[in-house]
Amino acid sequence: MKPESDKQPEGFGPPGDAPRIIDQGSIWIMVAAPTLWAAHFVASYVLAAVWCAKIGPSLTQPRWIIAAMGALCAGVIVWLGVRAVRRYGGVFVIFEEITESSERGRDKFIGHVSLLLCILSVLAIVFTVIPGFVFGTC
Amino acid sequence: MTQEIDLSQLPAPEPYDEARDTAQRARLARAWQEPPGWKIITAVNNSNIGKWYLLTSFGFFVFAGILALMMRMQLAVPNNDLFGQELYNQMFSLHGTAMMFLFAVPIFEAVAILILPEILGARDLPFPRLSAFGYWCFLIGGVFVCGSIFFGVAPEGGWFMYAPLSSNKEYSGLGADIWLLGLSFIEVSSIAAAVELIVGVLKCRPPGMRLNLMPLYCWYVLVVAGMILFAFPPLIAGDLLLEMERAFGWAFFDVDRGGDPILWQHLFWIFGHPEVYIVFLPSIALIATMLPTFAGRPMVGHSWIVLSAIGVAFLSFGLWVHHMFTTGLPEISLGFFSAASEAVAVPTGIQIFCFIATMLLSKVRASVPMLFAGGALAIFVFGGLTGVMVALVPFDWQAHDSYFVVAHLHYTLLGGMLFPLMAGVCYWYPFVTQRALSDRAGKWAFWLMFGGFNLAFLPMHWTGIMGMPRRVWTYDLSDGWAVLNMVSTVGAFIFAAGFAVLAINVLWPRGKAPLVKRNLWNAGTMEWSGEIPGKPWGVRSIPYIHTRYPLWEQPEVVGQMDRGEWFLPDAEEGRRELIVTDILDARPLYIHRVGGPTFLTLGAAGCLGAVFILATYHLWALTLAFGAGFIAFTLRWLWTGTSEVPDAPRKYAGRGLTLPTYAQGNRSPGWWAVFITMTGDMTAFMGLVFSYFFYWTALPDFLPAASQLPAFGWLLAGFAALMASWLMTVGARRLLGTGAARAAMALLVGAVPVGAAGLAAWIWSAHSVGLDPTAHSYDAMVWILILWMGLHLLLNSVMHLYVAARIRAGICNRDYRADLMNLTLFSHFLALTGIVIFALLALFPLLMGAA
Repeated sequence: MKPESDKQPEGFGPPGDAPRIIDQGSIWIMVAAPTLWAAHFVASYVLAAVWCAKIGPSLTQPRWIIAAMGALCAGVIVWLGVRAVRRYGGVFVIFEEITESSERGRDKFIGHVSLLLCILSVLAIVFTVIPGFVFGTC
Repeated sequence: MTQEIDLSQLPAPEPYDEARDTAQRARLARAWQEPPGWKIITAVNNSNIGKWYLLTSFGFFVFAGILALMMRMQLAVPNNDLFGQELYNQMFSLHGTAMMFLFAVPIFEAVAILILPEILGARDLPFPRLSAFGYWCFLIGGVFVCGSIFFGVAPEGGWFMYAPLSSNKEYSGLGADIWLLGLSFIEVSSIAAAVELIVGVLKCRPPGMRLNLMPLYCWYVLVVAGMILFAFPPLIAGDLLLEMERAFGWAFFDVDRGGDPILWQHLFWIFGHPEVYIVFLPSIALIATMLPTFAGRPMVGHSWIVLSAIGVAFLSFGLWVHHMFTTGLPEISLGFFSAASEAVAVPTGIQIFCFIATMLLSKVRASVPMLFAGGALAIFVFGGLTGVMVALVPFDWQAHDSYFVVAHLHYTLLGGMLFPLMAGVCYWYPFVTQRALSDRAGKWAFWLMFGGFNLAFLPMHWTGIMGMPRRVWTYDLSDGWAVLNMVSTVGAFIFAAGFAVLAINVLWPRGKAPLVKRNLWNAGTMEWSGEIPGKPWGVRSIPYIHTRYPLWEQPEVVGQMDRGEWFLPDAEEGRRELIVTDILDARPLYIHRVGGPTFLTLGAAGCLGAVFILATYHLWALTLAFGAGFIAFTLRWLWTGTSEVPDAPRKYAGRGLTLPTYAQGNRSPGWWAVFITMTGDMTAFMGLVFSYFFYWTALPDFLPAASQLPAFGWLLAGFAALMASWLMTVGARRLLGTGAARAAMALLVGAVPVGAAGLAAWIWSAHSVGLDPTAHSYDAMVWILILWMGLHLLLNSVMHLYVAARIRAGICNRDYRADLMNLTLFSHFLALTGIVIFALLALFPLLMGAA
């Protein structure tokens, strides 16, 4: 008899306990929004560093590139937030008591935390965009 | 939707039978018993390793604390000549180093190893031998680094070892090598612990403990272990660069040869700032765990704390340059990091508000742990506020490298880490020893420590503002810092007295004292379900958990566990067994057997320690010999203790649940451990990639002329061979799955020379155009990337031959092929590394038009 434990991986796609990306029943949705913040942060930092080292002191262009990238990331995060609310049933509450022992309860919890992280990430992206508008030159 | 196993509808347990209970207990005890007498050093139980880890870390804390007191004695009066300048430099370097690397981080691992399995209602962590290995590495490395001061060769370049002070041998001696190699060694143990803890939290939760029911402590452990995985590897990459420069003269940080000392600061602080949160979050986790106990109610905003832990973890990686505000980076760059430094106060604040809200909504019971927790919050909030001040660039330019920063960092670290930890010590002391601490002594200890701390560090804000720089070994009366410094010194000794009271209280022999009652504090988390007197097995039977505070909301579970009514109440085969569950809902997946006491981990740690220590003294032949010893011990450990073919494919776990006894691919903890380790490895590699681009940004002529670039044809040929080697490994996995064992073996063995040929082509591509790593940073960068690939290929080859041998021995076969799956996963990461190196060496110069 083929043991139960062997009923997976074939080739590259293993499931069983495989992590699902973003779609329902995934933990990646929780880290997706802050990861977008991190990506935007690194991109802004690299852009500014390379710009200041290779191109020139004026920041007029990079500031708008950074803002545009920020808007793009924020847009994706909003999509994630909508996903967290619609697919996962995430809610915005202070006194969270999502202690139901069911898959739905777990989903709601993940949706709720993801929603909060979406808000925090958008806030942090706004923080990253601000310096570009404060400094005119490197 | 995933398939739901309704654990609440399990059949009723068999009626209680005392004879069966006694027999099961005897068998469990035999399986989990720690070895007697001196052989206790081979123990791997989390309760033993955790305790040793804890005591060892506190040993290093006392050592570093004594150094601090000596520094305070030196600074007590102006123009003091108690200790020489050189010794003073060694003292502050070692104080910082030991406190951060040998106390703050290891104590997180110590506490987690000690209490996490019990909080999870598990018998042990998934890789107990790995914990033991990590502990012994930590002990050997720590003693090596600290011992150096007794021979006058301690590191003296500050705990952050800035280049060129640390890279130029005229300025720094053996101490820098001891620091680099000793700490790299300890980082290995930290990463080992991180892997263990992540897999522990994700895969070893009790059946039913879904993510929304997971205790806050587990969230914090998960987050912090994840941070270690991304924070420590860049430092390992930096250590590698710095040690290559020191030992072999490679040009990384020497400006004359196209190097840049700022690169070290980047690599160090990409590690160093998250490190602050790596030490802070697990301690705040202790408060988050004990606060509900004393408040008698669940934590307010449980999910908000999860949010803030995850949020802090991410944002803390965007703060590193705030340690480098005065290095002359573009102001816009400073602006990003200043903004992120302010932003991190938001999630940090949220968790503090949750704590306060929980306390406001209930009547908090007074106790010594709560005293320490309250003191911690007060001190931490103060330190956090000065943190917001120094996060502002103009203020930082004034306060940088002054005692103001010393005051700030001690407020955050002691308030955020040490005081919560002391609260934890008082709280969990009865859990570990089953005796009670003296309350009176606890209160004395707290007030002495709290008062002494503020007396010592509050005045430093003023000494800093008045201009006293960090790390000066003495000062003049006319500087006007004398009175404040004397006050600080007095405070430091009062603080030390408080700690001494606490230490005596903890270490006081209480063999004859009465045992405490079960669940002494009336806590809600599972670790307090342990029987008194304690048993070696952790939990009598592994329960089904469906609430956040099981001891409050499922009070009947304790009796059921004791009577063996839940899962795995027995050890018929005399093996140590755990239940592995899935990540989201903790559905039982399979029964995981873990290793018992062994000398192999000790031998492996001893040999690896010798490798690092001998390399410090450039004794290469002996280093190689011990390296071989390390490989031999490790292979033996793996061969005898992992991925065994089980005696039966499935086993009855109790309550109508029958589970497989073997798992492979991403169902097995081993696969996850490889995945997580390799994520860390990729982070270290990204440190090298960052270095490459850093040089490219900072140096106008980093890329040489086309004739000086590694030969494209050879690079391409090498790349093709490496990819072929990878595909052979993947092919071997497929073949073994169809039962073609001999063909799989042939592919595995064949992949080794193919990979070696690829590496040789790369070496030739760099060698043929005369790239000299001691000449220029570009040459050094190319060689370090090839060296990185070479080291990984070496490991890859050993593992290929190992798995081939396992297939030959029939341990790895068509139905049980976890070894090969884990190896394939490793080779995926290796292939990715190869692709990135190829892109950097061959494609990027093309893209930039250099060729």
